[in-house]
Amino acid sequence: MITIRHLKKEYANATPLKDVNVEIHKGDVISVIGPSGTGKSTLIRCINLLETPTSGEIFVDGECITDKKCNINKVRQKMGMVFQSFNLFNHMNVIENIMAAPMDLLKKSKQEAYDYGIELLRTVGLADKAFNYPDQLSGGQKQRVAIVRALAMEPEIILLDEPTSALDPTMVGEVQAVIRDLARKGLTLMIVTHEMRFAREIANRVFYMDEGGVYEDGTPEEIFDNPKKEKTIRFIKHLKVFEHLITSKDFDFIGFNTDLEEFGRRNQVAPKTIYRAQSVFEELAVQCVLPKLDKDFKLNVAFEYSQEEETLFMTLKYDGDTFDVRNTPNVISFAIAENASESIEYAEIDEDGFKNLVTVKIK
Amino acid sequence: MTIEQIVNATELTVKVAGRLDTTTAPELETFLKQSIEGVEKLILDFSELEYLSSAGLRILLTTQKAMNKQGEMIIKNINETINEIFEVTGFIDILTVE
Repeated sequence: MITIRHLKKEYANATPLKDVNVEIHKGDVISVIGPSGTGKSTLIRCINLLETPTSGEIFVDGECITDKKCNINKVRQKMGMVFQSFNLFNHMNVIENIMAAPMDLLKKSKQEAYDYGIELLRTVGLADKAFNYPDQLSGGQKQRVAIVRALAMEPEIILLDEPTSALDPTMVGEVQAVIRDLARKGLTLMIVTHEMRFAREIANRVFYMDEGGVYEDGTPEEIFDNPKKEKTIRFIKHLKVFEHLITSKDFDFIGFNTDLEEFGRRNQVAPKTIYRAQSVFEELAVQCVLPKLDKDFKLNVAFEYSQEEETLFMTLKYDGDTFDVRNTPNVISFAIAENASESIEYAEIDEDGFKNLVTVKIK
Repeated sequence: MTIEQIVNATELTVKVAGRLDTTTAPELETFLKQSIEGVEKLILDFSELEYLSSAGLRILLTTQKAMNKQGEMIIKNINETINEIFEVTGFIDILTVE
């Protein structure tokens, strides 16, 4: 239904989308999740050309909508858009808001537009508000009207940009119920949301966005229960991360330890755990790995703390020759590190120039 | 790390406080090399030593070897964590810990 190829969106000082490649099928209900600033809203705004992509192609039903010759208004008729801030016309009452576009663009008669509008309002429980003005409605009611307005155009897909994030918490449920109903009816939906439980229950696909694209795409079970990629795991498990790239043997060791202590304090990691983390870092990274690395090297250290599980992991990634740190001749350092760890694992990798991965679960 | 010393004839007490790690171990090494000449009893007071790494252990080992030739070395007042490090590395059997 929608095919996106090499989509890029660049602003003067940010590039939220670097290279997006996805296929959206008819009937898909897609939750788009990810940290702030990873281009979730930009992606759906590019799909209906509210933002002009810098490069790349978007095909809707085989038609290239990024082609300059394409009739944008015609394409937009296939897509409904629901905004975070409702965007209703305040000088029109509810039914007028709903009737305007079908009469203008679909050339429906006033009666047809009215009848269908009322029918749709009934499905969201707001038929009695047809002649009210938007400022007489609650936030939840406004958003339900905005959804009806999108539906009135009989779109093939509805794009929802954080539809509940501007709402009072008591009104989130009523809007989610309406969206759930749309999904049940088989409409194709794409929803940017920060509500993880909702994202999971409603969707058949989840896009986790990061690093300028759809970083991981899977079923809700795959993304929420068994994420495969590093950043998805961090996001889903609410991992607090302290990361540092070392490229010189004279790196600021004292500064590193001070920052690690600060990271521990900020995230309520037990002081004893941080002490062990410092010990494992010094013994494995500084004493065992660093002496093995060439002059030009890179050693990435990351500590990931799960507040839910109260577990702290350290990962070391380094380039150079294959070197399983568990075989280090430095038995004293390794004994100290082992004593402060639950487990020390090693794997050969080929990732961004790194060849070695050590994963330590700190005691 | 801070180092304090008390000299009593041929007995030298060195109190090491703070962190004895990769960056601070060389300082203690230099200090001990310069201070143990003629010392027959070296007491290392670790009551305020908070952190010890293998870099610090190596200094203890070289100092122990030097003191074996001229007298004795005793380590006092270690905390539980440092005792654990002495145990897992086998240093507990090499050093005299009171």
